[in-house]
Amino acid sequence: MAFAFEFFLRRLSQGVVIVVLVAFVIFTLLRVVPGDPIRIILGPMTPASVLEETARALGLRDPILVQFGRFMGEVATGDLGRSFIRGLQGGSAGGSQDVAGYSPESRASVAGLIATALPYSLQLAGLGVAFALLVAFPIGIAAGLRAGRWPDRLGLYASSFFVSLPNIWVAVVLIFLLSAKAGLLPAIGYQGFAYTIIPAMVLAIELSPVMIRAISVAVAANLGEAYYDAGIVRGLSRRTMVARHVLRNAAVPLLNLFGAQMIGMLLGGLFVVEYIFSYPGIGMLTISAVFQRDFPVIQAVAILASGVLVAINMLVDFASTMIDRRLKF
Amino acid sequence: MTISTVGSGMTPSPAPAPGRPRGVTARILRRAWGYGEMKAAAFLFVALALLTVLGPLVIDASATKISVADKFLPPLFMEGGRLPHVLGTDQLGRDLLLRSLVGLRNAFAIGLTSVVGMFVLGCAIGIYAGYRGGWVDVLLMRLTDVQMSIPVIILAITILGVSRPNPASIIAVLVLASWPVYARVSRGVALAERQKEYVRAARIIGASDLRIMVRHIAPSILPPIAFVAVLDVARMMIFEAIFGFIGIGIQPPTPTFGTIISAGTQYLINAWWITIVPGVLLALALGSLNLMGGVLERARNYILQGGA
Repeated sequence: MAFAFEFFLRRLSQGVVIVVLVAFVIFTLLRVVPGDPIRIILGPMTPASVLEETARALGLRDPILVQFGRFMGEVATGDLGRSFIRGLQGGSAGGSQDVAGYSPESRASVAGLIATALPYSLQLAGLGVAFALLVAFPIGIAAGLRAGRWPDRLGLYASSFFVSLPNIWVAVVLIFLLSAKAGLLPAIGYQGFAYTIIPAMVLAIELSPVMIRAISVAVAANLGEAYYDAGIVRGLSRRTMVARHVLRNAAVPLLNLFGAQMIGMLLGGLFVVEYIFSYPGIGMLTISAVFQRDFPVIQAVAILASGVLVAINMLVDFASTMIDRRLKF
Repeated sequence: MTISTVGSGMTPSPAPAPGRPRGVTARILRRAWGYGEMKAAAFLFVALALLTVLGPLVIDASATKISVADKFLPPLFMEGGRLPHVLGTDQLGRDLLLRSLVGLRNAFAIGLTSVVGMFVLGCAIGIYAGYRGGWVDVLLMRLTDVQMSIPVIILAITILGVSRPNPASIIAVLVLASWPVYARVSRGVALAERQKEYVRAARIIGASDLRIMVRHIAPSILPPIAFVAVLDVARMMIFEAIFGFIGIGIQPPTPTFGTIISAGTQYLINAWWITIVPGVLLALALGSLNLMGGVLERARNYILQGGA
């Protein structure tokens, strides 16, 4: 247990530093690139003096470091702030809607917006990963067990094929075939679970190539290890060896992959897929926030996203040492 | 020049194996060429490249000129298609084959340039960090952690979403978002390479650090990494298409896959070919790159693990 405690303490402190730095990069970037949120908040007809006054009231004219310090102070107390644009009901309230002036109280809290969108994203991500595993596991394991033979070739073809399908195009093709032509599944927006299926398929096609490759490599590598031959010599069947031992040991590189690569890919894929399907998750929220210069929302999502990446990497490293005791020595 | 030849002459073994500077590249290529898939993919790639170069010269149409009389023409293989519009026309009567070919050329140019950029930047940082070690290494690697924790799409729309995006800014964003992977990989290899005899030999005879990194370490570790970069060219082409789709890529009227596909979605029911057909061409191009990359990766792993 002392090991676990020390591990988490060290990694947690590193992780916090990384998240703060990511927040700082995004924070600065938003304020350095052109595009003033005040103009979008108040609308194009607002006189310049009112614009300046509101910007000052919101603290947007202070030096960036001062703004960042204030922001981190609020985050530390658990307050992610309020959206510039989104009204309490969740819809966009920019521009003409309140010409009289801007009052933060009339805007939705960022934490609330994220809490509303997150379950949708988790549902989509979960289903996408499940679909991808369903495809990747059989192909990957078969390819790994028969390295150099036809299942291996099949793995190469399948992953080269899937990775060559641009997600925006796959999305349109699937909408056309399954929704517009066959009328099997709904596609745009969200009015029930069925709306998750096509987006999840697109996500799965994007994720499966990396999984297939990783699974086949991990399985093939374990077949070359001495313990495998030893097991066979002792009279264990190939099936038992693969099911009991090879898959367990192959899990370590796979877990590493899931942390390092898959979560990043999943996050990126989620953003694009949600945008294409107008799916009301975090990705959709963020993309529209960026276009509307809704700083508080973007900052909060950036912190959340990097926090998740860091945390998953930490858990993965911890799980690896738990599964494969060799790593501890 | 003299120093480097003396340096490699200092390697005790007469065979080039320990430092394995040359040879490896040729062996990987020979091994990869042995795969039928490699030949097929290379053939497809060359065919598409020729098509993108020759197509605009041969086809009697313009990629950007609007011709309302010709709008929504289906491809030749369907009823109602007519020449010169082999793959039909879009909602403004522009030739789809031509637009796809120009789009392919633009996507490939952006993909290749950005991968060269991220390769050079990432490997320079990685080799420096691995060779130097110590706090420089720690600092640079934490920097890659930070960079890798920012989703590419957030970075891209934050930067590209506000100004008028152009090829240079798109390439810059892709390089900025993807260099850490190359830094990680090259740093790992450089760290191991630093201990090797030929590097110590070079240091003993007084070669500068910069010289050792550029003339000795880089040539021996970069080719194997470069082979895998082929896969990234395809990935960057997909990003280019996504950017175009979201509206933060190359701006109309210049044809790119993203804008072709996003504009065509409105006419999906009656004119599906506007979105579907150009996508097939893009997928073929990406497929050839990915298959070549996949085979090269296998050949590389085989050779580096001691295969002949």
